Amino acid sequence: MREILRRARDTMFWGLCLLALALVIAPSIAIIASLLQQSWPALNLNLFTNTTATNGLQNAILGSLLLMAGILVVAGPVGIAGGIYLAEFAPPARAGILRLGYETLAGIPSIIIGFVGYIVLAQELHWGFSLLAAILALSAIVLPYVVKTTEVALLQVPATLRDGAIALGLPRVTTLRRALLPPAIPAIASGVVVALAIAVGETAPLLYTVGFTSQDPTLNLFQHPIGYLTYVVYLNATLPTKLEHEVAGAAGLLILVMLLALIGLGRLVARRAARYAAQLPS
Amino acid sequence: MRFKLTAGGAGGNAGPTFLPSARKLAGADLTARDRAVRWVLLGAGLVPTLMLLFLTAEMVREAIPAFVYSGWSLFTGHVFTFGNLYVTKLTVHHGVSAPHGAAYGALPFIFGTLVSSLIALVVAVPVAVGAVLALTERVPARLQPGLSVFFELLAGMPSVVYGFWGILVFGPLLAKHVFPVLAHLGGLLPFFSGSVGYGEGLLTASLVLAIMIIPIIAATTRELVRTVPILAKEGALALGMTQYETAKVVILPYVRRGILAAAILGWARALGETMAVLMISGDLLNGFPANIYSPFSSIAATIVAMLDSALTDATGMAIHALAAIGVILLVITLATNLLGRLIIRRVSHGVVLPIGRGV
Amino acid sequence: MRPRLLGSTRLRLAPVAVGLCAVILSACGAATTATHPKHTTKPVAAATGNPSSAVTLNEAGSTLIYPYLQVIAPQFNSKYSHITVAPQPGGSGLGISEAISGLVQMGGSDAYLSPGQASANPNLLNIPIAISAQAVNYNVPGAPANLKISGNILAQMYGGKITEWNDPQIAAINPGVTLPALRVVPVRRLDGSGDTFIFTSLLTKTNTAWANGPAFGTSVTWPANSAELGANGNPGMIQVCKANPGCVAYIGVSVENTALEDGLQEALLQNKAGNYLVPDLATITSAVTASSGNTPANLRQSLIYSSGANSYPIINFEYLMINQTQPNAATAEAVRTFMDWAISPTGGATGGNLSAVNFVALPTIVIPKVEAAINKISG
Repeated sequence: MREILRRARDTMFWGLCLLALALVIAPSIAIIASLLQQSWPALNLNLFTNTTATNGLQNAILGSLLLMAGILVVAGPVGIAGGIYLAEFAPPARAGILRLGYETLAGIPSIIIGFVGYIVLAQELHWGFSLLAAILALSAIVLPYVVKTTEVALLQVPATLRDGAIALGLPRVTTLRRALLPPAIPAIASGVVVALAIAVGETAPLLYTVGFTSQDPTLNLFQHPIGYLTYVVYLNATLPTKLEHEVAGAAGLLILVMLLALIGLGRLVARRAARYAAQLPS
Repeated sequence: MRFKLTAGGAGGNAGPTFLPSARKLAGADLTARDRAVRWVLLGAGLVPTLMLLFLTAEMVREAIPAFVYSGWSLFTGHVFTFGNLYVTKLTVHHGVSAPHGAAYGALPFIFGTLVSSLIALVVAVPVAVGAVLALTERVPARLQPGLSVFFELLAGMPSVVYGFWGILVFGPLLAKHVFPVLAHLGGLLPFFSGSVGYGEGLLTASLVLAIMIIPIIAATTRELVRTVPILAKEGALALGMTQYETAKVVILPYVRRGILAAAILGWARALGETMAVLMISGDLLNGFPANIYSPFSSIAATIVAMLDSALTDATGMAIHALAAIGVILLVITLATNLLGRLIIRRVSHGVVLPIGRGV
Repeated sequence: MRPRLLGSTRLRLAPVAVGLCAVILSACGAATTATHPKHTTKPVAAATGNPSSAVTLNEAGSTLIYPYLQVIAPQFNSKYSHITVAPQPGGSGLGISEAISGLVQMGGSDAYLSPGQASANPNLLNIPIAISAQAVNYNVPGAPANLKISGNILAQMYGGKITEWNDPQIAAINPGVTLPALRVVPVRRLDGSGDTFIFTSLLTKTNTAWANGPAFGTSVTWPANSAELGANGNPGMIQVCKANPGCVAYIGVSVENTALEDGLQEALLQNKAGNYLVPDLATITSAVTASSGNTPANLRQSLIYSSGANSYPIINFEYLMINQTQPNAATAEAVRTFMDWAISPTGGATGGNLSAVNFVALPTIVIPKVEAAINKISG
């Protein structure tokens, strides 16, 4: 009897857990399905040749790509450099403080960043709607992820490589360049990929630093608004006509495609990291 | 890690007293070029912390006039309004002038933010923990990478896409099929009865928030579950315990405090969530939701909604008022984040845990 | 021996160098040089025409004027190849704010500048380019397509005093009509809105409690009403009203066609003379003639609740907020060109363009004052 009760409890518990797993999987599928369903009629080449003024997405796509490129150029190097410092050069106390700093930064609501960007950058510094302000705001959001993955990647490099470098009497920079960074690069790259994925999905900070326009983006750093995909989803979801919903769905779908591409890229890179790590003497 | 002088020991073991201090020795191996590079890298490492300090300082600086003007009524007042901008008369409180009739009471927003995030938490924690247990303990290993894609997807999904789905699909679905049932069954509970609305409201927004915070709770729990010593689990199985009993007796107690910390981190994320709540909350002003299906407003959503027209207030107080409620949000989010991190640090013994959204 | 930069350090510094170059280059590029001679004294007709370098005029703001700009901007852009007018919605509050801070060159607004805004920004002009109006729509299944409603009743609906559609006050002015006992769901604008401004102006003129309470503005202290819903932009008002039976919403005429197509009903709004009217060419024109006689030079005038038997009660000037001092001569010339073209009956203000959005042209009596304002723009 007791045996049956135990088995029953076991089955019930795992049933609930599997239900929970289903409850996690279901929304992702539901969201993807609804994006596809909403956007289906609008999925044609017009999306890429028309701007948002004529129910296309050209300016938004180019703008989002431009922002991603900006993050790559700004947040990438700064984050990687910061992560290297925390992993290799920082004394433990200082590293603890800086780590707390970026972990806390990761928790700041994105609208706060947008607010400060609006007041300080767009207005007090008279940058207007500026690409640079947007990149700085997005960097504030994604830097913690880049720093953290770089730090973790370096910490996970096998000790034998470090020991070998010390035994050879190599300067710290050479150790980094020759022994530590190469095996860590795939993991670092996946951190940058995460940063890009988050940047492509942000809206609130961009609303207040770079505005929105139906014109194609330019490389002007100041006084020029640009378009981006998330705004189209935000605005068109509240509009009444079906076509506008379709364009919103299409924008959401494109963001999702970029996201999936980035996740796939991250996985590929992580697999290369694992393969490389397996080759190293441990 | 740090350059270790002694094999196998954490740096800093006190040696014989005639040796230089560990700190002095620690930098002894650096060449001039190393030192130069270290300065550059230190600069980069400081950037997130400096950004954090700058953001906080700037928000507080902007908020001070509104705090002076409203005093405690900022936290207790029910009405938030920029005032009448089209009369020339100004209201003055405590030396600060604002447009006629301006009042900056944030209680409805604080209420909305806290209640929506708490409901989200109550829903998300069991689901996330259950899903992680299912994924790590029951699902065959070859399926795990495939299924964990869904966690990453939910983590990376843009907030506006959640909002889009909430307005056009999820909200109406809930309002048509789930809420009427809930209103019937839960009719005894005061908050669950009454008009069901058409999908934009507290419960819809809280459920979407729950979906959004599942990734960080799940990712943290997953790392914690990995730290459970495999010997303990195998021992339990060897004793003939079912997997449920193993989970109950071995795994969960081990990670219980960590799950608490994960929940707190998830709560912090829900507190700061902006766009999805803005789109689904229905944005009630100057009042409280009548029941769990009614519209409400949150701090972050209100800032987004009102900031773009804040400059119409020539006295500048609108900006200060929004900064003030932003500071309230900042304090709540920072406090919950720090609390969560503190608990985690004490519990996780050096395990690297996710930050922010749970990626 | 001089140490060379290591490869990785050089790589790390490269983005910084690129960034610095980009900053310097764009700062130089931002100051567009115009070869057109600069006019320092203002003749009656200031220089307009196609500037020699490409200029983009960003506009953002009122969702009431946005459909009109969507119609006329492409026509203007194709006529003047060097000027691109790029309109965006966002609400009049956003339009005024962004014009004040220089984030856009033209801020669209249905509301004129407040005294406070005007004195804080003495260089900011509000220049109308058309006359628009606002309808009151509702979604009450079973009700007639055009119900009679007054500003007084609307003030009580939004104030939470009238909560059901079968209220005796509504029945009193609609004899012979049975209305369901449906809950009134007032929908208001969440964003700073010129539509809110003109709607609440009417409520202020027709209901004393409203005048002493929320009064009027681009955002007002809406009375707490748990049945109330919010919407962003005029199209958002249509969307929310469509989805919530029992709703009443104020919607600009430029999207009124969509509202009616989507199944919303249009109210007959009571005017000062006591008649009940919908906004159409005749009723709007009648209101314009009755009210635009004494427009001040700063063009800040409310046209709400004007007299006249056939005058529609909610009409307004559609303004573009423009800074008198533009950053350079080319931009100033571009703005003047656009504004002159926009108010000209052979340019932007053609019958076809205006009727596409149910607008009416500026009355001829106001045009000289508008042109005087346009001529103040310099760079």
